[in-house]
Amino acid sequence: MSKDERFDVVVIGAGPNGMTTAAYLAKCGLSVCVLEERTECGGACETQEPIPGVRIFPHAMLMYASPAPGFEQLELHKHGFRMNWSPHDVLTENTDFACTDGWRPITDKDKLGWAKLGGLLGTPPFTRDLMRATFWCPPHPPEVEVTDENVPYMQVYKQHQPDIWTHELREMTMLDLLDEHCETEHFKTAMAFAAWASGAAGHWEGVAIPAVTSVQLLTLPNTGNRSIPRGGLHGYFHAIHRAAVSHGAVVRTCCPVDEILIEDGRAVGVRLRETAAMGGRTIRANKAVIAAIDVHQAFLKMVGPRHLDPGVIQKIKDVSLKNQTLYVSVFHTKTPLKLNAKFASHQEAKGIGSGPGRTPQLGVYPCDSREIYYENVADVDGHKGQPVVPAERVMWFHGPPQTFDPTDCQASYKRGYISNAFEVAVTSPDLHKEGEDALDRYKAEMDAYMRKAYSQMVDGLDDANLIHHWSATGRDVEFRNTGLIGGTWCGSRHDEDQLWTNRPIQELARYRTPIEGLYHAHQTSGHPGGLCLMAIPYNLMHILIEDGIAEPGDWWYASPWYIPQHGKISARRG
Amino acid sequence: MPNFKYTSEFQFDPSDPFGHMQEEFPRRSEFDVVIIGAGPNGLIAGAYLARAGLKVAVVERRFEAGGGLATEENLYPCYSSNPHVLYHMMVDYMPAIRDFELDGPALTWIRPNSQTGMVFEDGSSILLARMANDTKDSIAKYSFKDAVTFGKVVRKWRKIVDDIIAPATYIPPMAPIEITMAMQRTPVGQEMLELGELSPLQLITETFDHDKVRALLLYASCMWGLDPRETGLGFMVPLMIDRAMNKCYCYGGSHKFASALGRQVLKGGGLILEAATVDKILIENGRAVGVHLFHEDRELRAKVVMSTLDPHTTFLDMVGEQHLDAALKESVKGWAWDKWSFNTLHIAANEKPKYRCDDPWIDQAFATVVGIEGVDSLLQHWGNVAKGKLDLNAFGGHSTCESQFDPTLSDRPGKYVSMFQIHAPYDLEGGWLARRDEIQEAILARWRKAAPNLTPENIVSRSMEDPEEIEIRFPHMRRGSIKHGDYRPLQMGYYRPNEHCSSTRTPIEGLYVCGVSTYPGGLVLGGPGYLGANSVAEDLGVKKWWKPTPEMDRYIKTYLS
Repeated sequence: MSKDERFDVVVIGAGPNGMTTAAYLAKCGLSVCVLEERTECGGACETQEPIPGVRIFPHAMLMYASPAPGFEQLELHKHGFRMNWSPHDVLTENTDFACTDGWRPITDKDKLGWAKLGGLLGTPPFTRDLMRATFWCPPHPPEVEVTDENVPYMQVYKQHQPDIWTHELREMTMLDLLDEHCETEHFKTAMAFAAWASGAAGHWEGVAIPAVTSVQLLTLPNTGNRSIPRGGLHGYFHAIHRAAVSHGAVVRTCCPVDEILIEDGRAVGVRLRETAAMGGRTIRANKAVIAAIDVHQAFLKMVGPRHLDPGVIQKIKDVSLKNQTLYVSVFHTKTPLKLNAKFASHQEAKGIGSGPGRTPQLGVYPCDSREIYYENVADVDGHKGQPVVPAERVMWFHGPPQTFDPTDCQASYKRGYISNAFEVAVTSPDLHKEGEDALDRYKAEMDAYMRKAYSQMVDGLDDANLIHHWSATGRDVEFRNTGLIGGTWCGSRHDEDQLWTNRPIQELARYRTPIEGLYHAHQTSGHPGGLCLMAIPYNLMHILIEDGIAEPGDWWYASPWYIPQHGKISARRG
Repeated sequence: MPNFKYTSEFQFDPSDPFGHMQEEFPRRSEFDVVIIGAGPNGLIAGAYLARAGLKVAVVERRFEAGGGLATEENLYPCYSSNPHVLYHMMVDYMPAIRDFELDGPALTWIRPNSQTGMVFEDGSSILLARMANDTKDSIAKYSFKDAVTFGKVVRKWRKIVDDIIAPATYIPPMAPIEITMAMQRTPVGQEMLELGELSPLQLITETFDHDKVRALLLYASCMWGLDPRETGLGFMVPLMIDRAMNKCYCYGGSHKFASALGRQVLKGGGLILEAATVDKILIENGRAVGVHLFHEDRELRAKVVMSTLDPHTTFLDMVGEQHLDAALKESVKGWAWDKWSFNTLHIAANEKPKYRCDDPWIDQAFATVVGIEGVDSLLQHWGNVAKGKLDLNAFGGHSTCESQFDPTLSDRPGKYVSMFQIHAPYDLEGGWLARRDEIQEAILARWRKAAPNLTPENIVSRSMEDPEEIEIRFPHMRRGSIKHGDYRPLQMGYYRPNEHCSSTRTPIEGLYVCGVSTYPGGLVLGGPGYLGANSVAEDLGVKKWWKPTPEMDRYIKTYLS
């Protein structure tokens, strides 16, 4: 029997949060071991090639993280980070939105309102500050009362665009805010839906700005601009992985953790599952164990009731999974999908769309009105079963085609045509009234539903033209990637009850846990949640500095809006 | 800008009109060494040279490093398999595994005793096991004499592998005349020379009597692309059979091996750049000075460029004919691709295949050959393949249930991932696209005949990869050539890829070749990358931090000093 291995820090989970945390800590000079259950690192940042020449992004697809301090602090450009910029821009192009009666144009008021909310009209534009304030700042410490004056994004608006700052801003919904600043119903509906898909829905009170900015991370010309990194989000992850390993982090795959070892109320290491590539060994952590895995597994399974009180356990069980469990389809067809008559002529005339089939950009349908949006939300989060909304009215979105990149395997694929990822929100398997395996039983039915839904806009999904239809249900997602609990993409609802100082629950906000030496860093458990932002690790760094675990070099800077906890070391330099 | 302006104050920088926030990898960068292709050899070369202190970039076209060391979710969603390298045959000898101490925490090898089985229509079977006596017991069911012979011969062959072939894999090639002289020094060497005179078929039929014994050993000898009737490569038979008895599975999938190697590149300070398509090797004043990336218009300049791709891609596409001398051009143009490719059916099922046969160990075997009844039927199948044909009533192949060794391949509990692979022509009569469905059904029918539990109800998911698709995934495996080019005497040893380049150095200064089209060849030997790293370290005057393995030392002392 070999001796237990020892590291300063053990990170459980090699998804984007775990690996970014490892990169930060390794760069601080700590010895770090990252343990990953799957054979491949990356978590939700993954790329698959199910048949040669066909590239699928099963989860994360779009670049939300552009303003992240991690790009500078970890110097990802030196580790090969590159983007594939889309030549299209949602604000400067004459963008139309798809409704049941065809395309409807948006107006200058829509665009100006959206640009203003995103800080583009400031002098100079303050988009980066606004985004960083919203996502890249740890929640204030418990002794500090959260007010309109000290919420980071409120401070930014007050400084740069004072007419947006109102006492109502933190009360209203995104739709309320868009009613004030934008014009057309279809633009507002599309943005509200995109916000729902990005974690904070358009109709939730108290998260208007997180909802708006999460969509703006994607759509503003100076943020993600609906573009993807070279190699997809897995390529972005690779840069983080390379940074971590080159700073000395040790990465172990096929190493699922069964238990977080706790001695005298302190986390001292982990025990691996017996099927781990290293066997069921123990790995010790001198300074910290960081659970970069979902809040359920971390606390209900790996820590367990011996170390937590029943009140906390109940709250963790209740962390809401109503957050965009997606049913994802990719279609392989003999001939390209083409816009149907209702959409084609107008689109062609304006020269919008791309690729051989001229299928639309990243898009949403149908955007007629917020009623249709509410109907869909109720169907997913209220009915808790199979969809009741008819396929003609179900809201969907599809990912951006990458045909503008001739090096992408799909661009030169000769055996037919591959569609963009086509996605519909469904009830989480864990909430399904017919049981968590219901989605397995309804797969054929759901596949037909998906085809019918997409056929509202495109021709070519008939039996004769369809070669293969890949679909992944929320149930598949849970099995493939256990951290995506409930099959959710953003982990858990980014609403007022579960964001900022309430994420995931008050007792665990600020990434500390009741167990000394144990921290959490996962989209389900930490502010600001999902979207592969490198935000949780950056925010967590403040806390690890406060606790004397991390001592970064000159490359580190804290969030300008960060407030140190009383009696702790300030993460702010100087 | 089109019809929308933000405000007059918001100025766009014309070189970066949208003011992107994050810095990207630069358009122009400088390295000591740029390696094209992050397959096993590219990663091995990169790992050695990075640890030697050189600034290394390994550039990979795909979104993922690994090349043939691939584990893909080709039964998406939830089920993965190893579409290329599945059987790791050189784990015992590969210097990289030892020099980087990859065994243990980084890599776990599984080496079942039950290695390769062959099942016959009458329900009988034969088994090649890691432990020779288990093989002898199985052979004895047919021929006691063959069992005795196997016991004797396999020891001799092991010696040839251990003393000569395995260590020589990691030592630069010698001209045939030099080899002949060197081998005269020992009885083992002389024996190896004698074997070289024979064809695999001659060697096996001369050594063994029973048809089924011969069929199994001939399959194991030639499955990776030796011509059963060609003389000159008979010495490969001991290697192939010895290694067929010692195959390893990489727990977590073959890609885990690539990841472990890749992390060694990074640990040494090297860079791996995925999703980067090299379209040109930059040549200035007759010297390779870097590479250019297609579409993203980046240039990585370097003192040394190493290519792991096939000779056509490296020399004709990336260097360009204008830079080649006549002899090199002729050699490259005369390069012959693999004589056959593979067609593989992957399935996820509720059960692992249970073979209708007389030996329960067959179900635990690493590989099981199905559909071959004897030497004639094997030769007929291979003969058809060589002619671009598949006789769907008479063909065979080998199958493996990967998830019996590696539960990580199935995300759903209680499901098994298996594959059935047949030798197949790239130019199939009738065309792959047209005949895919028919061939898939025929393979499944053949497999089910041997393993009746593979009923339609038991199969959850299936996916077939044909030779054209091998080329789609890996364009430099041209015509589905998994070894980048045929194993034939004039493309082996000193002649792989040709006498100008087999040392990994090429006539173009600063350009090295170290993929599987270079000596010693393919099947994850890790030889070309290792030899390439040695050449570059020597030529750049960098101190080697590694030493030859003890087997290599012994070989050098016995045959080369």
